[in-house]
Amino acid sequence: MKKKYENNLDMETCSNGMLEVKNLTKRFGTNVVLDNISLTIEKGKTTVVIGPSGCGKTVLIKHLIALLRPNSGEVYFKNRRIDNLNENELNRIRTHYGFLFQGGALFDSLNVTENIIFPIRQHCKITNWREVEELVKAKLAMVGLDGFQQFYPANLSGGQRKRVALARAIALNPEIILYDEPTTGLDPIRADVINELILKLQKELGVTTVVVTHDMTSAYKIADRIIMLHNGKIIASGDADHIRNHPHPVVQQFIKGQVSEDDLAVLRMSGTISQAQFLPRDFE
Amino acid sequence: MIGIVGAKTISGVSNMGQFARFVWQSMIASLRSCASSRTYPLIWTQMNIIGVRSVPVVMITGAFVGMTLAVQAYDQLAGMGLEEHLGILINISVVKELGPVLAAVMLAGRVGGALTAELGTMNVTEQIDAIRSMGTDPIRYLVVPRFLACLLLTPVLIIYADLMGIIGGHFVSVIQLGINSRAYWNFSANGVELWDISIGVIKGFFFGAAIAVISCYKGFTCKEGAQGVGRACTEAFVASLISILALNFALAVIFKAIYNTFWQLKSLV
Repeated sequence: MKKKYENNLDMETCSNGMLEVKNLTKRFGTNVVLDNISLTIEKGKTTVVIGPSGCGKTVLIKHLIALLRPNSGEVYFKNRRIDNLNENELNRIRTHYGFLFQGGALFDSLNVTENIIFPIRQHCKITNWREVEELVKAKLAMVGLDGFQQFYPANLSGGQRKRVALARAIALNPEIILYDEPTTGLDPIRADVINELILKLQKELGVTTVVVTHDMTSAYKIADRIIMLHNGKIIASGDADHIRNHPHPVVQQFIKGQVSEDDLAVLRMSGTISQAQFLPRDFE
Repeated sequence: MIGIVGAKTISGVSNMGQFARFVWQSMIASLRSCASSRTYPLIWTQMNIIGVRSVPVVMITGAFVGMTLAVQAYDQLAGMGLEEHLGILINISVVKELGPVLAAVMLAGRVGGALTAELGTMNVTEQIDAIRSMGTDPIRYLVVPRFLACLLLTPVLIIYADLMGIIGGHFVSVIQLGINSRAYWNFSANGVELWDISIGVIKGFFFGAAIAVISCYKGFTCKEGAQGVGRACTEAFVASLISILALNFALAVIFKAIYNTFWQLKSLV
């Protein structure tokens, strides 16, 4: 078993990275979602992965925690290859991670306290419940939701749900936190609250952070490094200024939120809206 | 055409393999969990949801099976002057076949549907991925308590169904159709052996296990969206129903062979 953990190819090239992806390819059927991707996530830094919807951002982040397995390529966590481990071995590794899912993925049959206690209950021997309650209170205070302990997810707003999910993600004091579209579906103010939280957690806990988003305001605010995915490949990588001034037209189009000429041509060809407005209505 | 058949065959075999792997993992995780006190509260909760809350529906099913059998069989037996033998017919049918099978079918609808819908919704809302991301095996946390609750409580529910079937049959035969109660019970006692009751209860373990693994598997593999969950529930019920009928047939053949080989030796001894 120990051999498996040490089954890494070049320790020296991995040593600076908390996470390392080498030549990763992922296909679903004949659709190549990630095409020979290599990247290093540096320890203590915030890496933001941007790209249009459907470009494989979520697939990439799920590979970083081995929720998905690659068709080819390797994924390393602290120099340990994790993509070929079995689920039992992975469960030990995953306790070093926190993962914020796009919709929060809170357990709707459990209240806020029970949701946050879940990972603690699974991996720690609880001898003093008062201590656990204090811990839940502290985690909720970090995300600004102390007092919501007895609420159920159904009674929380979208932003509150994400913050509770974040409190659950940091319950075991992870070394790395992965965020999947943390600001999607939130109004600009709530989105900024989440951005501030990400910065606060990174500063206070010193965690390594990976954020997948298509929200450029969020990306510029929190990123030490931005990576852009397009058609399954990395087409740009660097700090916020580097991305702002990147010469690649697709990068410029994405960060400025401009529609492409191809898309406009399709819209022009699809006919006029007035042609569709004269369909007979049948209310009976 | 050949390509389509080939693709369907590969997909079918792949699904079978995936299901077999899921069953194997569930069995292993169940055995391990028996030794872990951490799982007991989860099993207890599921026993309440799956077992205790199913008692009324299973008892009603059993009672109607017994009563219907009495009404249907009376005319045939009375025509031959054998109406007092009605007890054997009803009680053997109830404890050996109809009680276990119909109770299991009711459970497949009530419990299996709920399991698939619950786990399917958890799957499409990424809650199962969330469990994995927190370093917990979702099979151990979600499937094992449901599997053990179904496995252990389906036989108990079958006993309830049998009991109500016997009472229902007696009610119609003796009170409504006027058969002599003493004769009814005497013929029943002579005709129904402990073996007959036992095989009905033993079938319950197999039916319970089948309902649990099929329903949980369909929940774990359901497609995205409300339609995906609905479809998974339908598939789970149909697959459970067919499994119950197929298992019932297979177990009937096996138990008959065992009976013919061993049980008759008892009378010689």
